Amino acid sequence: MKINPDFANTIREIRDKALGERSHSRKVVHWVEDHRLRSGPGKAIVFILPTKGCSWALSKSGGCSICGYIYDNPQEPNFENMMKTFKEKLHDSIEDGENYSLKLFTSGSFLDISEIPEEIQKEILEEASQYREITEIILESRPEYVTKKIMQMIKESIDIEKIEIAIGLESANDDILKKSINKGFFWEDFEKATARIFDVGAKVKAYLLFKPPFVSEYDSIKDILQSVSKLNELGVDTISINAISIHRGTYLSKMFEKNQYRTPWLWSLLHLCKEIKSKYPDLRLICDVVAGGTQRGAHNCGDCDKQMTDSLKQFVLSQNLEDLNNEFKCSCKTEWKSFLLQEKITIS
Amino acid sequence: MRFFQPLSQFGFGRILAETRTHYPLSPGLISIEKPESLEGYSAHFDSALVPNYSFYDSSEIKLLWNLPDAKKEKILHEANQLSLQPFYPSYASEKLRIEDYDTYLKKFLSLPRIGEQSFYLPIDQFESEKIDEILETDCSLIILNDLSKLFNNQRKLAEKMSYLRTRLSPDIGLYLPGSVSPAFYSFLTYIGIDFFDNSIAYQVSKNGYFLTENGVFPIDNHPPCYCSQCSSTPKNIFRHNEMVLKNALARVNFALRNGSLRSIVEQDIHRNITFAATLRHLDTKFGELLRKRTPIIASTKVKCLGEESLNRPVVSEFRERVKERFRPHPSSRIIILLPCSARKPYSMSRSHIMFRNAIRKAGSSIFSMLSELIVTSPLSLVPRELENIYPARFYDIPVAGSWSEKEIEITSNLLSNVLSRYQEDSIIINHLHGSGYEDIIERVREKSSVEVIDTSYKAPPTSHQSLQELSEALVNTKERFSLNQTEKVISNTKKIQAIADFQYGPETGKRIFHGKIKLKGRYPRSPQIFRDDKHIATMHASTGYLSLFPAYTEEISKISLNKLDFGADYVSGSNIYAPGCLKADTHILPEDEIFVLYENDVIATARALVSGEDMNKMTSGKVAEIKKKKR
Repeated sequence: MKINPDFANTIREIRDKALGERSHSRKVVHWVEDHRLRSGPGKAIVFILPTKGCSWALSKSGGCSICGYIYDNPQEPNFENMMKTFKEKLHDSIEDGENYSLKLFTSGSFLDISEIPEEIQKEILEEASQYREITEIILESRPEYVTKKIMQMIKESIDIEKIEIAIGLESANDDILKKSINKGFFWEDFEKATARIFDVGAKVKAYLLFKPPFVSEYDSIKDILQSVSKLNELGVDTISINAISIHRGTYLSKMFEKNQYRTPWLWSLLHLCKEIKSKYPDLRLICDVVAGGTQRGAHNCGDCDKQMTDSLKQFVLSQNLEDLNNEFKCSCKTEWKSFLLQEKITIS
Repeated sequence: MRFFQPLSQFGFGRILAETRTHYPLSPGLISIEKPESLEGYSAHFDSALVPNYSFYDSSEIKLLWNLPDAKKEKILHEANQLSLQPFYPSYASEKLRIEDYDTYLKKFLSLPRIGEQSFYLPIDQFESEKIDEILETDCSLIILNDLSKLFNNQRKLAEKMSYLRTRLSPDIGLYLPGSVSPAFYSFLTYIGIDFFDNSIAYQVSKNGYFLTENGVFPIDNHPPCYCSQCSSTPKNIFRHNEMVLKNALARVNFALRNGSLRSIVEQDIHRNITFAATLRHLDTKFGELLRKRTPIIASTKVKCLGEESLNRPVVSEFRERVKERFRPHPSSRIIILLPCSARKPYSMSRSHIMFRNAIRKAGSSIFSMLSELIVTSPLSLVPRELENIYPARFYDIPVAGSWSEKEIEITSNLLSNVLSRYQEDSIIINHLHGSGYEDIIERVREKSSVEVIDTSYKAPPTSHQSLQELSEALVNTKERFSLNQTEKVISNTKKIQAIADFQYGPETGKRIFHGKIKLKGRYPRSPQIFRDDKHIATMHASTGYLSLFPAYTEEISKISLNKLDFGADYVSGSNIYAPGCLKADTHILPEDEIFVLYENDVIATARALVSGEDMNKMTSGKVAEIKKKKR
């Protein structure tokens, strides 16, 4: 069993209540941001496509304990409109002489044909392939939708070298996947999907979740280090460490409201980046802090949050460890250290 | 073999020492990282506080004990590991957790060297049978990771802790991790916690707070402190806060050593409503458990300040023993009830000297048929024979003259009980004065038909009028008994017999102290007791209790309540260890003088370190120290 039925039921109940309250929005959200490309610093065009949402979150298993992206999706998609806006916006965003990474997010799985029918997937990719400024295309998907058939379709639509499939692995530890995230798949599923992606010549990006519920920050640091090692062995060269931000309408949010969860410290992220980058210098390590410095996102004491998130941003773009070697001298460092141990002893 | 052994016991509070070296470690402070100076710490976590690649292979955090280098060779384990398989924390739903904890238990049992591992025990598993198997192993340290959840629930805290402490053997240490105010160390130690950590110093210091033993103050407005950390510029708040923690624990440690823990607990709990309520709850509901583990042989002041003192274990043990073990001398005919005095022993006080002179006016032969009972709070009743022993000689109470309903009830019950043990034709002379005393005597009258003569009804007991009345009443009653007056009883013999009864069990005094009894040596020396010119016992001036020579204890060993059955006919060395103890009397209290028996022969006398009940539970470690061996 890859899920704990009791845990899944609890999540489902919370999900059902929150899903009833969501509103329609069929807008294609898009923006351009600074991004680290394989070739160096560049720009990223991000699209959030309005699909019906993640099938896992809508399933009877309730989805992941930490994820509330589903509440932004419309109930019934309008693909015609979507394609029209996508094409216009993409055209408008691209400037000559710049390298772009195109990120196609659906808040679910791009490769899931029940979210985006195969012909629409194909149309989007073919549209993107017309711009030579786009050197990387990132598609998010759960591993079960990464089938041989779909990979073949992609290969036919676009230069496969440009494709990077991003998978939310969260952790390489099956216990954490099952007990605290309710992810519904295990490390072995990820391994198999990775093999299928490598087979056709595409690349893999893995997301790791920093500090899932029930896991102490101390153990989560250990888990991330361990997961990175495992991913590195597998040949994954891009890893994004996502520090938790608390989405409303999730199991985690309920815990947070009961004061049972503290979002991770920026000190931990800083430590992780340093530790991983010095051990694996060739790895492209991404660490975008969502809602940094707030109570619902990774934060320190409040005095040093801004400075530290800025340094992390700078590091992600440059991939240069020196950007992290600033002397941070905030006195909350000792509090952070004691918090790590105390939390480990008392909760885990 | 467990890593710890208890060196002394007071309530659920103990001094734990390393088993091999006897080096005391608890009550102790654990540093969550390697401290600059180990002084004042019992242990520290030995690891990078933040996991990194070079460290994560060794995977487990170790707890390193702070033992002197010279003893390092002898110690049992260098480290206690924190065995952490991730499992659901206590706030996850019960359904999720139960299966998960079972997995943890299985994994824990499969670990190598269990004696070195620390075991996690969440509060909802205290009663579980599943942990039996683990308690049977060498597991020495248990982490109560979520006990602080109960810090606002007095009933549950009292229940859970007394349950756990009676279930566990006393050589298992309990560690309460997390922020705990140093003001509560004494109370938490008393209910059985052995180790605390310094994480509060880290947290508080960061927020600019200043710890004192009375609580936490903001840095810009705190009581002045002249310690070297505070005098230095810039102030080192962390070091100061750390020092406060160490001092607070040293104070508890000291109190444990000299037996005054209960007094400081009674003072400290007034800072926290829940803990104050918990102590009352413990005393009333689980008082017996504490009583069985509280020494009655001691020589510290018993300060009875609050309502809690009425049910203080040593006080209720005294009352219980007076009820169960005190038997008036058969020649007693006239019972005088006297008020207590501030000066102890009573007979040294001005008022009692006046009483004595008044009594003597009735002729000195009256002393043989006299039995004096001192009525007092919170001890209720102290027979004159027992006025020199602990706690009767050592208690102190702020006197306001008013008795509470509870005090009246307890005292009158005990008094009626004791009075029923005298011969039926005895006469009671009530020399008590005041409304509280009146209520007590009123209740005694209701229950028994014995004649009571009031001699201090109109005026205070030390007034000329009352003393006169006392003398006259005695002269009158003496005449009634003068015909059947038989033998002359020496008051010293009466006293020693009563103490022996109180200490070793009813009837023991008569059996051993018969014939010609003589005392040599006077206070402050410890008098030696001679029977037919043979030195058979000593009375300790410091505590008022007796020590017997093993050769003479055979006479009472069959009926005494302080026997320990030993597994061999000879004790080598000067200690008795748990494996050698086959069975111990459950009446044994820590510090008691006990008789070590081999097949019904006394082979030595010893001083108990833990209660008889705990002796039976322990699997390793010292249980008693030999005082004298029989040659």
